[in-house]
This record gives sequence, structure tokens and C-alpha cells, in this order.
Amino acid sequence: MGSMEEIRHLGLLSKLELTDQELRKYESQIEEIIRYLDILDRLSLDEIDPVQSTIKFSELRKDYVETFQGDALKNAKHRKDAFIKGPRMS
Amino acid sequence: MANLCHLDSRQITLGIKNGDFSAEEYVSQILERIEKIDGKINAFITVDKEGALEKARLIDRKIRNGEQNIGPLAGVTVGIKDNICTSGLKTTCASKILEDYVPPYDATAVRRLKESDAIIMGKLNLDEFAMGSTTEYSKNGPTHNPWNIDYVAGGSSGGSAASVAALECAISLGSDTGGSIRCPASFCSVVGLKPTYGSVSRYGLVSYANSLEQIGPIGKTVSDVVMVMNAIAGKDNRDHTTLELVPKYTLNPTKKNIRVGLVKELVEGAEPEISKCIYSAMDLFSSLDFKCEETSMNSIEYSLSSYYTIAMAEASSNLARYDNIRYGFDLSPDGYEWNMYFSKVRSNFGQEVKRRIIIGSYVLSAGYYGKYYLKAQKVRSLLKRELKSLFEKYDILIAPTMPLLPFKFGDKIEDPLKMYLIDIDTVIANLSGIPAITVPAGFSNDLPIGLQIMANELQEQTMLDAALIFESATNNIQRSPDL
Repeated sequence: MGSMEEIRHLGLLSKLELTDQELRKYESQIEEIIRYLDILDRLSLDEIDPVQSTIKFSELRKDYVETFQGDALKNAKHRKDAFIKGPRMS
Repeated sequence: MANLCHLDSRQITLGIKNGDFSAEEYVSQILERIEKIDGKINAFITVDKEGALEKARLIDRKIRNGEQNIGPLAGVTVGIKDNICTSGLKTTCASKILEDYVPPYDATAVRRLKESDAIIMGKLNLDEFAMGSTTEYSKNGPTHNPWNIDYVAGGSSGGSAASVAALECAISLGSDTGGSIRCPASFCSVVGLKPTYGSVSRYGLVSYANSLEQIGPIGKTVSDVVMVMNAIAGKDNRDHTTLELVPKYTLNPTKKNIRVGLVKELVEGAEPEISKCIYSAMDLFSSLDFKCEETSMNSIEYSLSSYYTIAMAEASSNLARYDNIRYGFDLSPDGYEWNMYFSKVRSNFGQEVKRRIIIGSYVLSAGYYGKYYLKAQKVRSLLKRELKSLFEKYDILIAPTMPLLPFKFGDKIEDPLKMYLIDIDTVIANLSGIPAITVPAGFSNDLPIGLQIMANELQEQTMLDAALIFESATNNIQRSPDL
């Protein structure tokens, strides 16, 4: 991992527009960081279970509807009539 | 009128209730202080002058009228990290992406502070979305260390720690994902507490890495953080990870002969003057009849890789929600195609946030999930297992909070890995969910050093007992500099 093309592709998947300057900077930085994460390879972890949530599905609270006090949509800047505007689909 | 800004929470509530001064007089002094020195420190992003004065007058009225419902934090001024939602008050996460966001609700921790009659002074600076260790990654510019304004205040809750040290508020809330409360508290010579995971509701905390982070208090004294914890901790139906607990933390150390383990790897990995200071702390505990010895933790070697894998994976997932449609900055979607608009909007994240989204997406992607994320979660199990056996032998573990002294702006910002490595002492508590506190332990070259005390899950009281005893025995350590 770390080539400019790979980073550009991950940027595309995460909807991040990256400039050539950013890509150049990230290339060496990200490669170095991933190499550091590879320390995990030094351990034999086959017998170990990963950490998981201890909360059981049956313990979740009931999914009741609570009336929200306040204007939940007041931060939507671009509105028309009763709708929130977004970009066109294609 | 005497200068009231240096008072701690207990002194403030007593002074107001006894009629020594009014909440309005006290808040006016704090507002003057902010006005006078925040230009140097840059701790605040938003100051809520009107809201604070209004609340102060309300408290004064209640006291004048002899009302019984006076909250336990009546009149105490509090600053809130700007990634914790405050109804009607901007919550920006120090990001362009949320520069105009005004939450329509309070975070549970904020609501509980208000119900305790604390006075919200405003919102505090942080690294964008709490990603960083120096507060240099803020859209609003860095927070300066009150002890030397050419040095970083630590992060990501830099504003929360610096504002308390600079006497711009009595207490503050921060959030701690990998040390973000303890690092700046240590760098600014104040007290900062990361609670047991699930002790404090995360409802209203802008999510970065849900399985690691907790909201927690920063104050000048152990007494300050105890008072805040008693107000904010406990079950909340709006956060299903909160635990059934009723907070009743006290300031009367009862436990005798506390067993202390000094984590050798962390002390040896710190700068020499910091190691020396932590060994002195152990000597002090020994002289107070604590049973102290050095101990070892093997999983420390792997903890940072595990931490950054998990934090970045969760960040990449959490930050997918920022599409600028329901909230965001002013960019009309007219004329844009769907993908183009989102990419355009999201290019406004800062460099560190983008870096973490990319790496997080990578470690979660097909073919790499088993190599990184799954392994990181297994290391977390190993660490928990190791801590479990250590806490059979010891009541608390001690270590430095930070492996280095505060440093100058720009020293590490161009080398992200170097920046990540300074979190080595703090991530253990987040990966395992245990509580940890930092208390001022001394100075080197006029820069603060913090002692970190960790305890087993939900054993905050033992940790606080030890912190209080240490604080009482070292009460000459300064909490706020001359500015």
C-alpha cells in the first residue's frame, strides 16, 4: 500500500477529492504508517478471540419512538418548499 | 473584589451559597479574564457571554429566594470541547465541514451539567474531529500552552486543558479516544480523567471512534473532577453502551495499603527527566505505606498499532456521514452531480482527517480486514487479559502520562507517525476500557510533567483515592502560570 494510484482509488471510494500535491505527500506518509501497523504480523494470534461487544441483542432497549423537541432540520441550508435539496443523481 | 478566577469548584459553590460573592460577579470576572488573555491562548472557539450571565443571574435569584433546588455545581464555570453538542450553541469540531452547525439538542453530559447548575461559558478548541495530539490540526489555529505560549498545549482537548490552566473557566469537558484528555491535561499541569468505558454517556459526542472514546472532566484539582463525575456519569437510555451505575465518588481516601505497579516499559520509554519524576512518585507512594514494585506489560509493544488500526477504521466509517445535505457549510448542490458534490464537499476535511479516512478505508477493505482490523481486535483481547492478571496483583498501575515534555509548534506536524508515537502511554486505557487519570507531578525546564494512574474497570474510587493522596502530598505543584 502507498502508491499514488492506490491512494487515489481509496480517495475515490471514500469520496475525497485529493490534489496531486496531497497525493504526493500522503504517498510516503501512508506507506510509513502502514508499515508500522504491520507490527501486528509479529504476533501469533490464532488462538485469541477478538474483542466483541458484550451487550446482547435481547438486552437492547425497546425501539420506541420519542418525539424530538426542536427543529431537527434547521441546519439544512438548501431547502425548497417542504424538501431538502441535494445534488442530481446523474 | 478579590480575584475569583483561581478558585476550584468546591470553593466556588461554597462562596456563592455563603453569599461571599454572587454567581454574576464571579462569571463577570471569568468573562474579563477570557477577554484579556484568550488572544494569547486561543482556547475558546465560541464564548457564550449572554447565556453565561443569564444562568448566573438565575442561580443568584434562586439563592436570594431561598430556593432548595440549588444544584451541586451551582455557579461553577465550565468550558465544553467543541465536539460535544450544545443546544443552540455552535458545535464545529474545529472543522470547515461543521463550521455552521448549531445542534438542536444537548449532549447528555452537557444536560446533566446544566441540571447541576454549572454555567456553560462556551466551546473549546480541539484538533479537527479530535484527531491529533497537539491541537495544531484545528481550523481555528492551535491552542497555546499557558506555561509557554511557543509550545503546544497537547491534544486533542487542548482548549479544554489550556482554558482551565489559564483560569478561563473552572472546569471543562474533553473527550478521550487515545489520550485526548490526559495528554493536554499533563502538558498544562492540570487534572484530567478518562472514565471507564460506559461510565459517561456518549450521546451528543460527535463520533470519531465509538468503541474507544469517553467524555471526561478536566479541572485544577482531583476534587474538581470528582464533582464533575458525580454530575455526568451514569446510565443513559440514549447510549446503550452506558453501564448501570450511580456515581457516588468521594474525597475521603479509605483504602489503606494500596498496591502499586509501576509499568517499567512506559517509564523506560520516557525522556529521562520524566522517568525520574515517575520514580520519585513511586518513592513518595512507598513512603506513604503503599506497596510499590515495578512490573511489566508485554502487549505494550503492539498496543499503538492496534489502537491506530481500530481508531482509523472507526473514523473512516463514522465520517462517511458528512455529505453537507442535512448540515454543513454553504455550498449549493445546484448544478452538481451526486458524486462530484460529495467529493467537492469532503475535500474540505483537513489533512489529518483525510489521512485517517484513507488508512481506515484501507484496513477495512476486502483482503486486508483479517490482516489489520481483526488482528487489532485480537491484540485488544490480549491486552485486556494481561491487565486482568496485573489487577489481581495491583490496585493501580502508574506510568508517565506522556513520554515527552511539551514541545514547540511545528516539531512533529510534518511527520504523522512521529506524532502518533507520543500516544504510547495513554492508548492502553482506551483499548481496554479501564479508567485513567493524570495529575500534575512536577516540572522540567519550566514545562509540566503528569503522573498517570490507571485502575481496573469501574475502580475509579481507588484511582481517585491514590490521586488525592498524591495531590495532597505534592500540593506545591503549580496549576496555573502567571500570564
